[in-house]
Amino acid sequence: MAVIRLDEVSFRYRGATESALSGITCHIGRGELVGLLGRSGSGRSTLASTLNGTIPHLVRGDLRGQVHIGGEDIRAMRPRDLADRVGFVFQDFEAQLFSTNVALEVAFGPENLGVPRGEISRRVDRYLRLVRLEGLRHKAPAGLSGGQKQRLALASVLALEPQVLVLDEPTSDLDPAGRQDLLTAIRHRRQESPITLVMIDPEIDELGWMDRLIVLDGGRVALDGTPAALWTATDALEGLGLRGFTLARLATALGVGGRWESADEAAAAIRAAGWHVREGAADGLHRAVAGHETGEILLEVEDLTHRYPDGTEALSGVALAIRRGEFVAILGQNGSGKTTLVKHLNGILRPTGGQIRLSGQSLRGQPPTRLSRLVGLVFQNPDHQIFAERIRDEVAFGPRLQGLAEGEIAQRVEEALDAVGLEGAGDLDPFLLTKGGRQRVAVASTLATKPEVIILDEPTTGLDPRELDGMMALIQRLNRAGHTIVIITHAMGVAAAYARRVVLMRNGRIVRDGTTREIFSDEAELRALGLTPPPAVQVANRLGIPALTPDELIASLVRTSQPPNLRASEPRS
Amino acid sequence: MNLFLYLDKDTAIHRLDPRTKLALLLGSFVAAVLFQRPGPLFALLLILLVYGAFGRSLENLRRIWFLLLGIAIFSIASWSVFARGTTPLLWRVTQESLAYGVGAAIKIDGMIISGLIFLSTTRIEEVVLGLIRLRVPYQAAFAFSLGIRMVPTIIGTAMTVIEAQRSRGLDLESGGPLARLRNHIPLLVPIFLQTLRGTDQLAKALESRGFGARRERTSYLEIGFHAADALALILGALSLAVFLGVRFAR
Repeated sequence: MAVIRLDEVSFRYRGATESALSGITCHIGRGELVGLLGRSGSGRSTLASTLNGTIPHLVRGDLRGQVHIGGEDIRAMRPRDLADRVGFVFQDFEAQLFSTNVALEVAFGPENLGVPRGEISRRVDRYLRLVRLEGLRHKAPAGLSGGQKQRLALASVLALEPQVLVLDEPTSDLDPAGRQDLLTAIRHRRQESPITLVMIDPEIDELGWMDRLIVLDGGRVALDGTPAALWTATDALEGLGLRGFTLARLATALGVGGRWESADEAAAAIRAAGWHVREGAADGLHRAVAGHETGEILLEVEDLTHRYPDGTEALSGVALAIRRGEFVAILGQNGSGKTTLVKHLNGILRPTGGQIRLSGQSLRGQPPTRLSRLVGLVFQNPDHQIFAERIRDEVAFGPRLQGLAEGEIAQRVEEALDAVGLEGAGDLDPFLLTKGGRQRVAVASTLATKPEVIILDEPTTGLDPRELDGMMALIQRLNRAGHTIVIITHAMGVAAAYARRVVLMRNGRIVRDGTTREIFSDEAELRALGLTPPPAVQVANRLGIPALTPDELIASLVRTSQPPNLRASEPRS
Repeated sequence: MNLFLYLDKDTAIHRLDPRTKLALLLGSFVAAVLFQRPGPLFALLLILLVYGAFGRSLENLRRIWFLLLGIAIFSIASWSVFARGTTPLLWRVTQESLAYGVGAAIKIDGMIISGLIFLSTTRIEEVVLGLIRLRVPYQAAFAFSLGIRMVPTIIGTAMTVIEAQRSRGLDLESGGPLARLRNHIPLLVPIFLQTLRGTDQLAKALESRGFGARRERTSYLEIGFHAADALALILGALSLAVFLGVRFAR
């Protein structure tokens, strides 16, 4: 029997003109693992919100059709009444933790349900062990790493012992190791007893282990099938603004049949089909980037140390030189010091030890504006800076503070809006845009101050594949136009495809600094730092080619028996 | 960075029932408002410091010393000048007005320190549980605790917003009073909106964890009165009696 039944479900948010969901019918069986996909605005989160009654009880709007969870009509059940049946884990791991220590956080749900004390204690022990946080039970949640916080959120929901677990992009803000650990905890929970899982994840590559994938588009179910069935649906998925499985794209391009579950399987199958590395391919790839990084040193950090007032050392002995025209990705786990480092590069934080040199000149004793004029920093969340009622005023904020003439400001605003693809949108309210749109406004605001170096902290978080490609194409254009780019990212595919240099951080130190190719070909080292290369790079490494994208990989292979199946592939810049 | 005051230690004060500590907190407030003279207030401050030292909570004073010092300086300076007295000391300052200022400074700082000790030695969850046992409705007790818990979140948001706008060149200190006020708009709008979004998220997260599902809620924490509570309450009552005696005996 289906534990989740949606029949002809439609929902329109109050005040919205279009429906977020239109006539969705889908039944999910007990113990089924369902991945929910779709571009932003497709209705993924709206659908998930109906599963525990958040819609219609906490979110206003017009709900039509029937939603039944375990036979109960959600119209009659508030989320709190469904709490012992449907567990909900949100993307934002800060907002769902509110207790003063780890054990009390897990106890909070069972307490609300009136579970006897002895049983609460048993559940606290059990679920903390399941998510491997038993050693931290007395710690404050605020002091945990991002991955630990999300595992704690999972444990505190599992402690309600629900039959259905809904996860709304639970790993978007996590580094690869944090993501892996969370998924491992979910798998362990599944081994104990069946649980129905509905998980939203923007990356289809992460959903290969599900039983079923449901793809939404415009509030309707566009595709619904097993990962095996969607393996060959790359074109359909791309048509919906999503990506197909990376390994499937490789298989199709190389004309190799079968479904691959892992990079090892893929590499073996590609070899078995007679493909091997074209002679000179590796050298060609290495040469492709050489000669790029000859610009003079713009920014230089020497023996940089930063100690917060409470004594934690966030950075220790960091040395880094950024040259004009570079495209650098800083990678590392949550809490490794990436954001603290870049805040020094634009003067928001002052070093507590060591120094920063700007074009060879020490900045000691200089006003922080010297740095912030040269280095623009785009924060992770655009909502931390957008305040104006019109996009134009938002973008003009920086130039106005620099005291430029109004004519000059207007021209810069137009240029910046053009550059980010928001031409003509100057009079719109920035709050009406999607997350991707607001991200663009934030980039435009920085661009309008004409910094030489642009630093972007997690520029692709929360963007769907099409928005992500658009954002990265924009950043690449800025780089080609002469801006030096530094990005912080957890999206390994983004770093591999766009950055030419990678800096790896761990515990406040730089542990490795080299070309993207060198660093991504040393998979063991990346994994030791809790990072995982994207699937195409994993396959390439197994075949012994330093390729960073599927296209590069395909172009590096030749088939012995038949002429190589050459595809038009855009060379990396 | 930890923005909560609670210090996770195992001291006799930490182990006291939250209701006992609440009673001691209120007792110290009553004692403080009884007096204007520095002498008894100073005695009260000493008692509080000893109490705090037993709870190994005085290290938190480091985190608010600037606040305590600021209050002391402001209070002494303003009362010395504005309060009236009969024994001139210097300019408008009299012996009496200076004493009044010193007394007011100790009084306010003492009350803050007493609150600080309470929060340093008592978990918010224990406070909630204590309030419930005192028959405060759970929803009200929890709302109070959420209020306290929201403070660090809001401060965290505010810090990020300030950094984001400063990195765009915002200088809060420039211009006249009106311009300075206007400088804050780019801060207030995002802080307000983010906090609003945060509370919306919080409401959803709370409900999905069963908040308010049952009338009767159980508790994982255990609190209860023990011998130490009786001792602490007797010592507290005795001290208060002495203060009352000093104040009202003729």
